[in-house]
Amino acid sequence: MTVVDGPLLELKDLVKDYRASSGFFAKADTLRAVDHVSLSIERGESLGLVGESGSGKTTLGRCILRLIEPTSGNVVFDGTDVLSLDPKTLRALRRRMQIVFQDPYGSLNPRMTVGAAVREPIIVHRLASKRDANVRVAELFDEVGLDPSHMDRYPHELSGGQRQRVGIARALSLKPEFIVLDEPVSALDVSVQAQVLNLLADLREGRGLTYLFIAHDLAVVRHVADRVAVMYLGKLMEVAATADTYAEPMHPYTTSLLSAIPQPDPDAQSERIVLSGDMPSARLRAQGCAFFTRCPHPGKNDKCRSKEPPLSEIRPGRFVACFKADDPLRLER
Amino acid sequence: MNRVLSIRNLSTSFSTERGVARAVDDVSFDLYEGETLGIVGESGCGKSVTALSILRLIEPPGKIAETSVIEFEGSNLMTLNQSQLRRVRGAGISMVFQEPTASLNPVLKVGLQISETLRAHNSISRATAREKSIELLDLVGIPDPDKRIDDYPHQLSGGMQQRVMIAIALSCDPKVLIADEPTTALDVTIQAQILELLADLRRRLGMSVILITHDLGIVAGIADRVAVMYGGRIVELAPTTDLFSRAQHPYTQALLRATPRIDDQVDRLETIPGAVPPATAWPNACRFHPRCKQRFERCSADEPPLLDVSDSRLARCWLVASERRPA
Repeated sequence: MTVVDGPLLELKDLVKDYRASSGFFAKADTLRAVDHVSLSIERGESLGLVGESGSGKTTLGRCILRLIEPTSGNVVFDGTDVLSLDPKTLRALRRRMQIVFQDPYGSLNPRMTVGAAVREPIIVHRLASKRDANVRVAELFDEVGLDPSHMDRYPHELSGGQRQRVGIARALSLKPEFIVLDEPVSALDVSVQAQVLNLLADLREGRGLTYLFIAHDLAVVRHVADRVAVMYLGKLMEVAATADTYAEPMHPYTTSLLSAIPQPDPDAQSERIVLSGDMPSARLRAQGCAFFTRCPHPGKNDKCRSKEPPLSEIRPGRFVACFKADDPLRLER
Repeated sequence: MNRVLSIRNLSTSFSTERGVARAVDDVSFDLYEGETLGIVGESGCGKSVTALSILRLIEPPGKIAETSVIEFEGSNLMTLNQSQLRRVRGAGISMVFQEPTASLNPVLKVGLQISETLRAHNSISRATAREKSIELLDLVGIPDPDKRIDDYPHQLSGGMQQRVMIAIALSCDPKVLIADEPTTALDVTIQAQILELLADLRRRLGMSVILITHDLGIVAGIADRVAVMYGGRIVELAPTTDLFSRAQHPYTQALLRATPRIDDQVDRLETIPGAVPPATAWPNACRFHPRCKQRFERCSADEPPLLDVSDSRLARCWLVASERRPA
């Protein structure tokens, strides 16, 4: 049964723990990569998920597709609880949700022609005969801006941008509704990055796709996302409409992150907050706010140190996990 | 201002199965005392090979053309022998690379790696070297330097490892620091820390810095002048404010418009059609002309030289010399 109303994807209280040991003889302890994340994505929406390395954004993306099994919580896709599915039903559902990885070189088989790589899912899912599949692949190549005559080439014969187009064509081959884009342009040069970003925008419009766009680059996310979710140490810090996030960030982490981005304009060098220290290890997390150790907010206090701020809706559609959300950190521009 | 480093007609090529790759082709520029020169460009434009060539760190099958001139402190580095070169590397010109993990020896304590450099260039005792190493770690903003000196690289975060690399690079008081994508492997908040550190060190130590990056945002914030490279050549050279307010070369202009910004939302980013050709197959004539939206007949016939736009501004484009240039 298909539920027509409601979000296409809903994450409820999702947790992913890893057992990790800090040394050969050390006792294994728990590293919480995703920490009670609840989030929904509407049909046709593009949700940007940003954070630094180790924030858990990639783990979260993979938990949705069950490429990584979450520890607890729910993933509901179009009314179906993804985590309760048996392998066969899951495989059928995966036709509707796909992923594009950062490094197309690492995710394509070097000994398979790129045409065969795009054709493979079609054959595996028995969506077409081999001959029809080739026609489909040629159409897909055309759609993503690749010359169909390149179908017989191997990944190393293509440029980085072309390989990422192959990765996108492969994800599209099963006509999915939802795609997790995990840093899809991070490995590309600026001029090629712009080409791929425009392609992704066209595909979304043409096919009515829903995206989870995972990236560390806030400037890129601004161009592709309707809403932005900011992650730190496995937790959501802020979720808001894209325009609001950039115009008036409410969480001190979002504010700091935005101020740290180098702007290609010598006159627009705004006040910069340089966060001290590194993101602490997810293993050694103390109680209290995850961001407490690096928080530049002048009003941070004992409550922040001892209690964890919940992600609360402070205005319709604006979620912030900060006790100081009523007095947000502001930057002089 | 005094010139610290003068590069003339630097050409570096690699022989490959597909022919000769002219990675750096006839590059000339000066570096002045106390300035930060940004070199920007996309992958394969020759910016890293330029940096390695300055220190003559090119290994076969790569070759720096004999006619190249790398003038530093009155001598042409091209004419020095290996032991003379070793004195220049580190004490005269030193370098920081992109991947600190790849540059640090994983089985040696970081303190030892700094002392090693110190003792290679100065005749000092182990104890003095250790003391100086702690001072250097402190200089680059590593907390508790007297404890961290006994850490192995893997015990430090990526940002801290890069600080150690900077400490090693600074250990012999170089006149010139070449930083090749020093923050590319780091997160944006850590990148901000390292860029601030580099700017601060340059001021305090009075060095000159060559900063190589693909990120136009980084040069906008830190560089005094910028050289834009494409196809193994410098295509534009200008003071930073001029470059960003009035870019002259169509490649620079397109690159700026293709860069997403956090303070501006456009529906579509401008793209540059096609891709950078391989270094074995630069187009004859202007190397950017196949991708250029403003090309005209002359662009596919002759390659333009670096033309004077105005005082201290250069651009390798026929538009600069042409009445076709829109006012």
